[in-house]
Amino acid sequence: MNTILDIRNLHASINGKEILKGINLTIGEGEIHAVMGPNGAGKSTLSAVLTGHPAYTVTEGEVIFRGKNLLEMPAEVRAREGLFLSFQYPVEIPGVSMTNFMRAAVNAKREHEGQPALSATEFLKLMRAKRALVELDTKLQNRSVNEGFSGGEKKRNEIFQMAMLEPTLAILDETDSGLDIDALRIVAEGVNKLHTPQNAAIVITHYQRLLDYIVPDFVHILADGQIIRTGDKSLALMLEEKGYAELVKR
Amino acid sequence: MSMQSLHIARGEHKHLLIYYTANESAQWDIVQEADSQLTIHLFALDDDPEIRSDIRLTVRQAGEHAETYIYGIGLLTGTQQASVLTHVVHEQPYGISRQLLKFIVKDEAQGSFIGELIVAPHAQHADAQQTNRNIVLSPKAMMHTQPQLEIYADDVKCSHGATTGQLDESALFYMQQRGLDAATARQLLLTAFFHEVLTTIGNEAIEERMRKKIAALLQGEK
Ligand SMILES: Nc1ncnc2c1ncn2[C@@H]1O[C@H](COP(=O)(O)OP(=O)(O)OP(=O)(O)O)[C@@H](O)[C@H]1O
Ligand SMILES: [Mg+2]
Repeated sequence: MNTILDIRNLHASINGKEILKGINLTIGEGEIHAVMGPNGAGKSTLSAVLTGHPAYTVTEGEVIFRGKNLLEMPAEVRAREGLFLSFQYPVEIPGVSMTNFMRAAVNAKREHEGQPALSATEFLKLMRAKRALVELDTKLQNRSVNEGFSGGEKKRNEIFQMAMLEPTLAILDETDSGLDIDALRIVAEGVNKLHTPQNAAIVITHYQRLLDYIVPDFVHILADGQIIRTGDKSLALMLEEKGYAELVKR
Repeated sequence: MSMQSLHIARGEHKHLLIYYTANESAQWDIVQEADSQLTIHLFALDDDPEIRSDIRLTVRQAGEHAETYIYGIGLLTGTQQASVLTHVVHEQPYGISRQLLKFIVKDEAQGSFIGELIVAPHAQHADAQQTNRNIVLSPKAMMHTQPQLEIYADDVKCSHGATTGQLDESALFYMQQRGLDAATARQLLLTAFFHEVLTTIGNEAIEERMRKKIAALLQGEK
């Protein structure tokens, strides 16, 4: 089995404040890793650092993504190499249509892979197929990116984009928050359909409910910038019962 | 400064397109009669770095139910300096006025918008909106904005807003996370900034021409 992502002793800070304090995590092909942990633990920071957000500084450690040094790549190259983040708070972009945005994204990735750009027809066909996967309302694709979308629509739109880009590693940062019960099931089923033995996902969540649908191979507890415990899916069940307090104080 | 006078007759609809070109200074004096409609589009999209222009628009709504729409787009580069002054007077009841002006200033360019809006005591039920939004792209670029409202009637609906900011960094990162390089993402965001003004032109050929000019001016934007 091949390794997709290897994080070794990763330290990162923002505005001089250290948030990640030595993260170690290895993700292999076909695996789903859940990351849980109290508010402010550094879960979104880890997503931001991995995807190349410019506000964070890596002070120590390294990250290997599909055999390459991830931290040396600009954010857009990381994306084209197959890293995708479903944002905890998706950004609204007034004036940029979903369709144009996705066309630019899909073709940027294809160009990176040495494939020709999709024709207009091919692209629309792809949009239609992927939209169906998460049952995204047709109307949303003609609007500006996330502009005026409800909280749940934004999350669904993130998974739609994931479906369009077929990443090797998807990080889902609290994709379940804001989704109603039916939407949660639809979105989770979409994620499962996109899961193959060749790709992997990091699922950040506070709730067991999501993990009933997307069943993780590993569950990690992130607290105060470190992974303090790793287990299988039963760890999440135990957490649901007991909370973090007991784990964190050790 | 060149002077232009315009009289818009009762019930007449008029659409003016004003393109800034180098070293142009113009003063427009426009009077609108009752039930007339005036739409103005101002474009400052020239690549001549030496541009010094100054446009002053005075619009008087001299009859009831007059409607005035003023839209503007300015993309100032190099050492360009351009200023727009609008002076809109609601003199009679039931007038409507809408102003939406957007500027992007980069390099060492300087832009200025002064919006004088006057609602005379007699102009009851006036409905006036003035919006000015600007993006400043470099530390040496400057944008001056000065809304000035004088409302003398009491039964009116007036609003104004002026903001000057930078490019939305979180949107930029979001786009890069989807694989768009920084230059393409910036171009898309900046073109999008003008989108709501461009769609008011109501003429696809002109709209397309303006989009091309904007794209050309933003070429190589980093
Ligand atoms: N610009 C900043 N300056 C200083 N501290 C920051 C800054 N941005 C984030 N932090 C801090 O970093 C810590 C980690 O935040 P992060 O968003 O990664 O937490 P999280 O685990 O995702 O939490 P949640 O479960 O609430 O989403 C928090 O304590 C937060 O206040
Ligand atoms: Mg978070």
